[in-house]
Amino acid sequence: MIDKRLFRLPGTKKLLLMLAGLTLLQAFVILFQGKYLAEALVNSWEQKSLQTIIYPMILFAMAFVLRHLFNLLNTKIVEHYASQTSEEIRSQLLDKIYNAGPEMISEEGTGNLVTSSLDGIDLVENYFKLIFTKLMNMSIIPPVLLVYIYMQNIASGITLTIIVPLVILFMIILGLAAQSKADAQYQQYTILSNHFLDALRGLPTLKMLGLSKRYAKNIYTVSDEYRRRTMNTLRIAILSTFALDWLTTLGIAILAVFLGLGLINNSFPLFPALVTLILAPEYFLPLRDFSNDYHATLNGKNALNSIFEILERPITKDTDALDDFTWNENSTFSIKNLQFSYKGVGTSDVSLDIDQIKLSGYQKIGVIGKSGSGKTTLIRTIGGFIVPNQSEITINNQSVENFKQLHWQKQLTFLPQSPYLFSGSIADNIAFYRPTAPLEDIKKAAVSAGLQDFIATLDDGYQTQIGEGGRGISGGQQQRIMLARAFLADDRRILIFDEPTAHLDIETEYALKKPMEKLFKNHLVIFATHRLHWIKEMDYVIVMNNGQIAEQGTPQELANHNGAYSQLIANMRGDQL
Amino acid sequence: MNFFKTFKSDTWVKPYIKQYKGLLITALLLGLMTSFCAAALMFTSGYTIDKAATHPINILLIYIPILLTRAFGIGRPVFKYIERLMSHNWVLKVTSDLRTRLYKNLEGDASFFTEHHKTGDIMGLLSEDISHLQNLYLRTVFPAVISYLLTIVASLALGVFNPSFGFFVFLLLFVEVFLVPLISVTIESARRAYQKEVKNDLYIQLTDNILGVDDWVVSGRKKDFKNLTSKNIKSLDSSKNKSKAFRRNRDFGLQLVFVAIVVCFLIFTNLTMTHNQAQANFVSAVVLAIFPLSDAIIPVSQGFEEWPLYKDSINRLNTVQPVTNNLPKQVTINPKDFNSISLNNVTFEYDSNSPILIKNFSQNIHKGEKLALLGPSGIGKTTILQLILGDLSPQQGQIQVNDFDISQIQENREQIFSVLNQKPFLFNTTLMNNVRLGNEQKSDAAIKQAIERVGLKDLIESLPDKYNTIVGENGARFSGGEQERIALARILLQDAPVVLLDEPTVGLDPITENELLETFFDVLQDKTIIWVTHHLQGIKHVDHVVFMNDKGIEMEGSPQQLYQTNSHFKELYQMDQGI
Repeated sequence: MIDKRLFRLPGTKKLLLMLAGLTLLQAFVILFQGKYLAEALVNSWEQKSLQTIIYPMILFAMAFVLRHLFNLLNTKIVEHYASQTSEEIRSQLLDKIYNAGPEMISEEGTGNLVTSSLDGIDLVENYFKLIFTKLMNMSIIPPVLLVYIYMQNIASGITLTIIVPLVILFMIILGLAAQSKADAQYQQYTILSNHFLDALRGLPTLKMLGLSKRYAKNIYTVSDEYRRRTMNTLRIAILSTFALDWLTTLGIAILAVFLGLGLINNSFPLFPALVTLILAPEYFLPLRDFSNDYHATLNGKNALNSIFEILERPITKDTDALDDFTWNENSTFSIKNLQFSYKGVGTSDVSLDIDQIKLSGYQKIGVIGKSGSGKTTLIRTIGGFIVPNQSEITINNQSVENFKQLHWQKQLTFLPQSPYLFSGSIADNIAFYRPTAPLEDIKKAAVSAGLQDFIATLDDGYQTQIGEGGRGISGGQQQRIMLARAFLADDRRILIFDEPTAHLDIETEYALKKPMEKLFKNHLVIFATHRLHWIKEMDYVIVMNNGQIAEQGTPQELANHNGAYSQLIANMRGDQL
Repeated sequence: MNFFKTFKSDTWVKPYIKQYKGLLITALLLGLMTSFCAAALMFTSGYTIDKAATHPINILLIYIPILLTRAFGIGRPVFKYIERLMSHNWVLKVTSDLRTRLYKNLEGDASFFTEHHKTGDIMGLLSEDISHLQNLYLRTVFPAVISYLLTIVASLALGVFNPSFGFFVFLLLFVEVFLVPLISVTIESARRAYQKEVKNDLYIQLTDNILGVDDWVVSGRKKDFKNLTSKNIKSLDSSKNKSKAFRRNRDFGLQLVFVAIVVCFLIFTNLTMTHNQAQANFVSAVVLAIFPLSDAIIPVSQGFEEWPLYKDSINRLNTVQPVTNNLPKQVTINPKDFNSISLNNVTFEYDSNSPILIKNFSQNIHKGEKLALLGPSGIGKTTILQLILGDLSPQQGQIQVNDFDISQIQENREQIFSVLNQKPFLFNTTLMNNVRLGNEQKSDAAIKQAIERVGLKDLIESLPDKYNTIVGENGARFSGGEQERIALARILLQDAPVVLLDEPTVGLDPITENELLETFFDVLQDKTIIWVTHHLQGIKHVDHVVFMNDKGIEMEGSPQQLYQTNSHFKELYQMDQGI
């Protein structure tokens, strides 16, 4: 019912203790509330004067107010805990994303998982708010009331005791029936419920096909079909709530009848009967609350589960194994027998099997291959975003297990396919690798990247805010900002490019070529691309195929015989003019 | 206040209250009956016990209250059950109408998509808005109306016995179900709106955090990575804490008013009903009956609190108005008679504030010609396609098909034009159904033939469900290149003489791109093609290339001719080919 991992969260035990105390107090004031109300009513029934009920009435009102005061405190404590703990979880998640994010995101689909987990924090918070109070109320309030009711009237106590297991049994039976029926309908159900969104998104297409007018009728038919199915499912799904309601109200009705008969037979006075009747709804209340918000509880539980799953993923250790160094023209690194594989979603298995690569100094290395050949996997491994299953890596004669090394990554500048700009000013974004750089240096870097004309057209110049991942700036200018970043970070001497110009139109790419060539100087460049003109700038090419190196060498060497390189180039070019 | 202002010009909520009136009234009455039974159960049980305590000689004297107790005990859950079904049924019926209406309005407004394509997933938002309206009814409107009815009925019932006490109780209940909710929504509205905004920002930042995690790791700035979101998290938390504190205190206040009502009843019953035993037997009944009412009364404020969320949805839906189309008299061109498309000195700007996007653009495209349109992004290539289709109208100049203005052929435009764009839309149904949309009259054999022509036969027949494979949301089951081929098969069935290609190969690797372009120009051999592209791969397939820049047409001609005579073209081509 409740995840054991919850108790490992900080503050949970303390919370439960405090809640237990408060709930116990609450149980007793509920009891007093019933007792004094019954006393007042009995006095009125005995036709006594107003004075006789003032004392019990005040005590009743005090108990009532105290009960809700305790409830307020209870809520306050739980809400405080819920927001603290969910923030703590969010913070842990962000840590995890930082420490293991690239590896997780490399695995297909996990990126989504992470997003939805962050999204799920709200659900978790709500879950915390609900679950502890409900559990406490259910385990403390009914027993306390029941003991008191037994003391007042044993028959009532027995009646109330018997009903609870019945209620639970019915709920389980009906709940299971509803579940199996809902499961059977689920797939069609989701298709139907998404149909409308599908139709709206596809409206331009329908219009192009001349079907959009006729399709309106379909919207209504499908929506009505969805209504019919929803009602069918709902009819059963809310049966369990109905059963609970029915059994508890019937319980009260049966109790009233028993009590009435008992009173006629003169077996007990009015007070115990009345107090039992008043407390009966309170006795059932925690049970009814527990079954409310079923879906909120379930969603929260699932969200928490997937968050725990992410948090429990192993992180690569020993990221500090590599000594501090600076890459220069004499530096070398080599890879031998590198193996990596994972099973992606569906049929997309990714694997890498590298015999050997040896790179040094300020070489320019092009990595080419058709899509799915392992280009990206290879350069992400070199960037330290993927940790291989097995490998012999040597960096400057020091052997390490993987490239996920702090002092390796400190040497890198990474340019992905779609640039990442964070919300902030253009200057902040250029200074990404050197946040403390003076403005003159930033300007110099911007000029090198050919940004000055663009920035001059902006009212706020370098201080222009480009929030939300740089939306609102053209793809070409985004890449220029990324280049300026690399120009500014001149202490980082390794450039890793992952098809940075793939989405750009030819003229924008043409205009970017000059600043990029300038950047290449005095850098080790590892450039994955399928744009052929870049190969002319490279002095070494690695041709990938099926996760393996098909060929490597200088472009001239490779062009001179009809190997994988020549074939790939011919395929990419297609027929010429 | 904004509460009433929102509804003043609303056409998405109010009119539907009248729809399916019978069902709505039944649902509301059932809600009322649920609360009534809950109160009556306590009333009759209280009376039963009080009466029994007087030791009536005959058990038959309490027989009727016992019977009633049982009846109300069963009545409450039964009414509640039916009420929930009825209200859901009503809401879902209205939803079907709302959906149809939203669809029709959007269908009539072609420019809506162009205007909003930048603002993210507007369709997702609108479709969510409709679900918000469902909740508005189920969580705010219904509970509020039922509590109002309950207040009125209870006050009137009391008023019959004692008018001044009835009025007094009415005032207290009025505070609970009307005044406090109204104060709630006034105080919380701004706070909720603020929270929504911050939360939106936070969501974007968190998504960015994930998308940019590679860069942050390389930069080594772990602290800054976390600080990115901390400001928003803090301000969101502090605002949320205020909301929570307000809600706790408000609910406590509501309970204080409620206990005041109970005390009033205790005093009232003691003062007026203790003159003889017959009256006194009703004391417990009357007092106990008010307790279940709190279930219906206290949550009203909570429902009102969600108002800001609903307000946004209502406002957004109200911006989607039906468009009166003022097209001229429509003519139908037989696809076989299609002859030419001409653009004469076309000038276009989105509105008077934005710069002129297209200036004096002229082009004549004859039947069977293949034209490629190139230029940097944002220069208006796609806009030209929209102008040709008639989705946008030029401020100056004319666009004609044969001798008719483009606006004259809108009604049967799909007979002349078909379109294939960057991300062709596939519906989440079978492959067969998706292709069939091209022409619903065609036989299964014809559909399969089209699939074969676009080179998908082997792939499809290797799948377990073959032609009945579900394509998934947005066609996710298939790769980008395959999705283009499916859409191409659809166009083959549609068989319109003009095909507009809007960067269909962007983002594909060059080998896939080459193969796809080969297929396009092979199966569309006899069509007129206008192809917007972002680079020169496959340019040999066209007869005429037009390069646009921000001043107009930079160069045009056949690709062979441009390669010989234009050095810029030659440079670009060589770069593209890596030679």
